[in-house]
Amino acid sequence: MVDDGLDLLKKDWKKREGSLPHFSYNEIYKLLWKRSSSIVKWIFIISIAEFLFWAALSIILSDKHQWEQIEALNMTTEVIVFSVISYLITFYFIFCFYKNYKRISVTDNIKLLIKNILKTRKTVKRYIGFVLISNAVLILFTLYKTITYHVANTVIENPETYEFDTTRWLILIGMTIGGLGIFLGLLWLFYRLIYGILLRRLNKNYKELKKLEV
Amino acid sequence: MNKELEHQFVTNLEKHQNIAHKICRIYTNDKDSHNDLFQEITIQLWKAYPKFRGEAKFSTWMYRVALNTAITLYRKKKRSIRTQDFDSVDFKIKAEEYDGETEEQLKVMYSAIQQLNDIEKALVFLYLEDKNYREISDTLGITEVNARVKMNRLKTKLKNILNP
Repeated sequence: MVDDGLDLLKKDWKKREGSLPHFSYNEIYKLLWKRSSSIVKWIFIISIAEFLFWAALSIILSDKHQWEQIEALNMTTEVIVFSVISYLITFYFIFCFYKNYKRISVTDNIKLLIKNILKTRKTVKRYIGFVLISNAVLILFTLYKTITYHVANTVIENPETYEFDTTRWLILIGMTIGGLGIFLGLLWLFYRLIYGILLRRLNKNYKELKKLEV
Repeated sequence: MNKELEHQFVTNLEKHQNIAHKICRIYTNDKDSHNDLFQEITIQLWKAYPKFRGEAKFSTWMYRVALNTAITLYRKKKRSIRTQDFDSVDFKIKAEEYDGETEEQLKVMYSAIQQLNDIEKALVFLYLEDKNYREISDTLGITEVNARVKMNRLKTKLKNILNP
């Protein structure tokens, strides 16, 4: 019965060839110049935008005023080392992204094709992770330096009326870490949402193919 | 040279366009999506054409690129409405060709196929196109044994749908 059903379907499938649409030579020729709206193209555009966004953000944020503050806090060496390393790492990520992107070939088998597309995304995801973590480290380090700077340089005239005790320190540190946590959490959610939508179908099909291998 | 390549490509595609249309039929539910997917398949084929060296047959190469486009690259523009829409377009059974029972069976089978996932659709499509298990496994990137196992499961699944 099964094969009866499928055989029947196969016969019908062949019969239907006659009723398929047919495009003329000219109609097909015109299609060659249409724009692709493939998912790979979207992933490429969004990824490049992300690299640019994060790179631009760090340039915009580093103004003269900020540099004076860095000098005052005695952090120049650390900031220069940090910047050089982070630029090197950014270039490394862009290089990996480009290499993975080039590897995407529409003539590969379905599994390999999906795997390679997801790999390019993984590179960008890791890059964003790196940006977020390194910035969090930098912010915490600056906070530490600010606190030690103020402790060493602030002259308190009436120590008995000075109320900045341990509890207040804890509140300040707690608020900074909390604020940082909320900021990172929101960014993470935002990314989950964008790529959740964009990659849902790819992930689903990749899982399905993986399942077949068990 | 470029004109020559364009001409060669369009001639080949015009001749083998049925492959793309059949894939569109399986993966889309209405005429607009059908044409959208056909357009994307054409673009992807054309982009990959300079690397096509004629080692394989154009049709064999086309099966792979077209299926990859349908499953992986194509972004559905809008949420497609199931069964109803699809029934009304391409898969309408011509009543005069079959008796009532066969007609009903085919209807059930086609709507069952529409509800399969992308990978299962690819398997059924290649099966309907008389591809052997080696070709099916090559196209999907799974082993021949797993392709066979999955196909048997699919047959059972379709059988259960047909005879609940």
